[in-house]
Amino acid sequence: MELFLYTALFAPLVGSLFAAMFGARPKTKIAGIVPSIMLGVSLISSTILLVLVLTTGHTVHVEMMTWMATGDLYIPFGFVVDQVSVTMMMVVTLVSTVVHVYAIGYMDHDAGFNRFFAWLSAFVFSMMILVMSDNFAGLFIGWEGVGLCSWGLIGFWYKKESATWAANEAFIMNRIADLGMLIGIFLVYWNTGTLQYDGAFAAMPGLDTATLTWIGIFLFVGAMGKSAQFPLHTWLADAMEGPTPVSALIHAATMVTAGVYLVVRSNELYALIPNVGLFIASLGAFVAIFAATMALVNRDIKRVIAYSTLSQLGYMFAAAGLGAYWVALFHLMAHAFFKALLFLGGGNVMHAMNDELDPFKMGGLGKTMKGTMILMTLASVALAGIFPLAGFFSKDLILEVAFIDHHFIIYTVLLLTAGLTAFYSFRIIALIFHGEDRHTALGFHPHEAYKFMLWAMAPLAVLAVIAGALKGSYFEMVTYVLPATEYHVHSATTYWIMTIGTQLFVIGAIYFAYKKYMSKDIKVPDGTSKMENSFAYKLLINQYYIPYFYEEYLVKPYRELSTLCWTHIDQKVVDASVDGIAKAFYATGENTRAMQSGNLSTMLKWMVAGTVALLSLAVVFGLAAKYSGEIKLFLSGLGV
Amino acid sequence: MLDHILSILVFFPALAALLGFVVHKDSMRSYGVAVAAIEFALALWLWFAFDNNVSGMQFMETIALIPTFGINYIVGVDGISLFIIILASFFTMIGIASLTDTKDVKNMIITLLFLQMTMVGVFVALDAMVFYVFWELSLVPMLYIIGAWGGPLRIYASVKFFLYTFAGSLVMLVGMLFMAYFYYQATGQWSFAILDWYRLILPESFQLWLFVAFFIGFAIKVPMFPFHTWLPYAHGQAPTIGSVILAAILLKMGTYAFIRFSLPLFPDASVFFMFPIAILAIIMIIYTAMVAYAQKDIKQVVAYSSVSHMGVIIIGTFALNVEGISGSIFLMIAHGVVSGALFLLVGVIYDRRHTKLMSEFGGLASVMPRFATIFGIMMMASVGMPLTINFVGEFLSLLGFYQQSHILTLLAGIAIIVGAIYMLAAYKKMFFGEVTKEENKNLPDVNKRELIALVPLVIITIWLGIYPKPVLGPINTSVEAVVQLMHEKAITEEAKSRIPSLDIIINKASAKEVQ
Repeated sequence: MELFLYTALFAPLVGSLFAAMFGARPKTKIAGIVPSIMLGVSLISSTILLVLVLTTGHTVHVEMMTWMATGDLYIPFGFVVDQVSVTMMMVVTLVSTVVHVYAIGYMDHDAGFNRFFAWLSAFVFSMMILVMSDNFAGLFIGWEGVGLCSWGLIGFWYKKESATWAANEAFIMNRIADLGMLIGIFLVYWNTGTLQYDGAFAAMPGLDTATLTWIGIFLFVGAMGKSAQFPLHTWLADAMEGPTPVSALIHAATMVTAGVYLVVRSNELYALIPNVGLFIASLGAFVAIFAATMALVNRDIKRVIAYSTLSQLGYMFAAAGLGAYWVALFHLMAHAFFKALLFLGGGNVMHAMNDELDPFKMGGLGKTMKGTMILMTLASVALAGIFPLAGFFSKDLILEVAFIDHHFIIYTVLLLTAGLTAFYSFRIIALIFHGEDRHTALGFHPHEAYKFMLWAMAPLAVLAVIAGALKGSYFEMVTYVLPATEYHVHSATTYWIMTIGTQLFVIGAIYFAYKKYMSKDIKVPDGTSKMENSFAYKLLINQYYIPYFYEEYLVKPYRELSTLCWTHIDQKVVDASVDGIAKAFYATGENTRAMQSGNLSTMLKWMVAGTVALLSLAVVFGLAAKYSGEIKLFLSGLGV
Repeated sequence: MLDHILSILVFFPALAALLGFVVHKDSMRSYGVAVAAIEFALALWLWFAFDNNVSGMQFMETIALIPTFGINYIVGVDGISLFIIILASFFTMIGIASLTDTKDVKNMIITLLFLQMTMVGVFVALDAMVFYVFWELSLVPMLYIIGAWGGPLRIYASVKFFLYTFAGSLVMLVGMLFMAYFYYQATGQWSFAILDWYRLILPESFQLWLFVAFFIGFAIKVPMFPFHTWLPYAHGQAPTIGSVILAAILLKMGTYAFIRFSLPLFPDASVFFMFPIAILAIIMIIYTAMVAYAQKDIKQVVAYSSVSHMGVIIIGTFALNVEGISGSIFLMIAHGVVSGALFLLVGVIYDRRHTKLMSEFGGLASVMPRFATIFGIMMMASVGMPLTINFVGEFLSLLGFYQQSHILTLLAGIAIIVGAIYMLAAYKKMFFGEVTKEENKNLPDVNKRELIALVPLVIITIWLGIYPKPVLGPINTSVEAVVQLMHEKAITEEAKSRIPSLDIIINKASAKEVQ
């Protein structure tokens, strides 16, 4: 079985290195095909491992070699395939394979084709390390690795200022969170003596609550960065500067869910500190609605989907924070499928529209892009949580968890968000595919994507539809390692009222979105309408002015302070005082040079002065030595 | 031959340098490369012959110089110094091999070989006087390199470098004399042998004063804030090879000396000054990182980043536990490799454009993809990406210090944020965007000679990042002995509790106390 583990892990690396060999050369198809095949291999190996874990309940645990060992610290490269990591492996390899195949078509005309696949496969490798590692340090390798690849891929079109800016923003913001994560790791080490998951979690019940709380908080700070939770969320929307397959894979399906994975993986820790869990859940619920409101008005389809991702991550954290770890992981999985599908569909639209992202300039694309329309609509229905698609089983379950645990505020917020989700999802569907044709007048001639790209998306569509049916066997599997709390509403009546009520609410939101945005009066907004000048709209379109605040009150002051440190402190204070001391010596020499001018009479004068000075010193010291006892007495009398 | 390998390592380059005066200048480069390669091979042989399980000194040699005052030529090597010696010989080799069109290349190579003698000498010396002599001698070749091959402000920069570090060393010399005097008082014999000094237990008040005397010498060399201002000038004016050696090896003398002298000689004082020094180191990390961010000249960015990283090394050293000290020694190697490589990379672009201002570049990624890739790898190593050499050192240094103070480690950890800020900003300015300047449109990518220097550094960076054990193992063995020695020598309660006891047996000769 170890063979399959290593194959699953290293096949993406091989693909990445293969593509990297062609990095600086002109585009070759092979640089895209080989990594895709390697990912297929990784997918097959993961599937075999899944079947193994599913049928036998055995887990695979290997230790490849020592990484760092000094003092009492011992960190190996260890990998574990258990029920949780195999779920993540399936999600990662499946979505990656789809995205790789899709990207062969999507990046077809790009000069950086080879480089793209090198980065993309390297990302998958890092992600596999992240989910398969059996210790916190190994997790951190993957954690930073995905950050690096995300940097390379957001800034893939490096000639664009906005892209490289967004790449750096994402990297630095993640670094802030990583510091928290690192401190969390240090705390784990010094309190439990090991960084291996099993050893560390086994020792945790013996620690005092304060320590555990700190560990929980710092690790969660790390999770907040990767999963773009408030207030470290601004990078995710800006990360949409990257190519769309990247957004689908990294910024929707896999990397951003790493934070959720961390919390799920550390469930034994968070089970001991329910207060931190409640904080996580509250923050999650807040982010869910906060991001959903920003998605309501945005005029960039990728950003809308990005905010939607953010919002769904909030749901996952709400579930994980409330102790429903398997629910969080289930929503993570379902979300990965339909959100990646949505992004890839968005990519098709972008291609058709020559990278135009404003849905108001589209309209009526359904006629030319039937396949894409069906896939995206399917994904949106799943996202909205309509029975019997994936979202219904995963998202509504989170609502039930909040309800059953009597966290009614969280429940209400999440319910409201569900309505908003349905509205903004179908707002863009309606604007893109239905209604009047607004694009021809603007000079666009859309065309459907390559057939094989649509076929590549098909597996995701299938999973988005049927993922709910997998719930039973999934539950059986992961509850080997996760707490097997089942969430049932006690009274059947309440259950049906809740379920049907939610469905009706969501359907109502969809209907409203269609009605509003399919109408013939929709025009490209020009900033004159009443709504665009309202306060709420301005607040939302400017993302609550948070990016502005960061720019004005953090980035700029940091830059100014840096310049100040250099020009004023370093040069004018620190260095100037060093030079000042040196100059004082120099000036002393310069000023006393006249003493040795060679003029006999001056030199004699100085000689006499020197002799007198020396003699008087000798007398003083002689007297002092003679009367030292008396002086000491005298001084002690003075209290010295 | 193995019995005298350390002396050979020290004096072979110097003899070869003397012989170099008669070598014809056209064949000088091959001569220099050959000598440096032999030296490097000897250093590797030393590693091969080195016994990883011995914590004490190996390959020791003793020759009496002035026995009446206890000054002897004593050399030896342990896990702490071994890899710095290898690094020094390695960098001299690739430095000479990658020398580009330098004027007076013959003088340059002779100077570099002399410099190599002093560098190896410092790291093998086990007698304080011998150490001091090599320590001071190392200033001379560097003074010459900066003064003769430097930029427009070279005289100012080289004199500043020389006088500043020299002044600090004099204070250290006074400390050494006192130390020998205390040894004389305790035993009735003079000795400058460091291993003899290790057995001396000093009262805390003496320790504090002596610690300060040594500290001034070392801190200027490191350089620690606020003694760092000689460094930007030296780097700014030095030719590429000068900066590479300065950053990779010479700065490590200061941090190495902390571990060789300050910690084992003055354990109580080390604990006493732990937090003040840590605070200085934190200022150094954050403040110089901010200054680096404000720079317009790419070489100054790398220079200030050196200071910032040295702060992390200091933090690790003063963690006073095995994890931290091992990490700081490993980070010395790592920083040597990475900053050396970054200075070489800056040299590559300087040779092509004769400017180091970042505003002159932009969009180089499309013009020089291989250069951009190697620079990117080294940048990521400098930022502390896991699986690169720097991460291991940084992680262990910070992990070690976390045992001593939570909040200070949190502050020191800001290094990973501010480090990313200035490095990514610099990389973006140089490599991303459109090519705006006409001169940059046809720049040649890195050539074979440059690759000879850079590729091995890339390989080391990744190899030791993934598998640090060959280096970390011997370091760990020797550091455990140092920590145990410190624990046993410590007098105060505070120091006993701060420095962990490892319950390992080291060859304990009878400790002598000064009254």
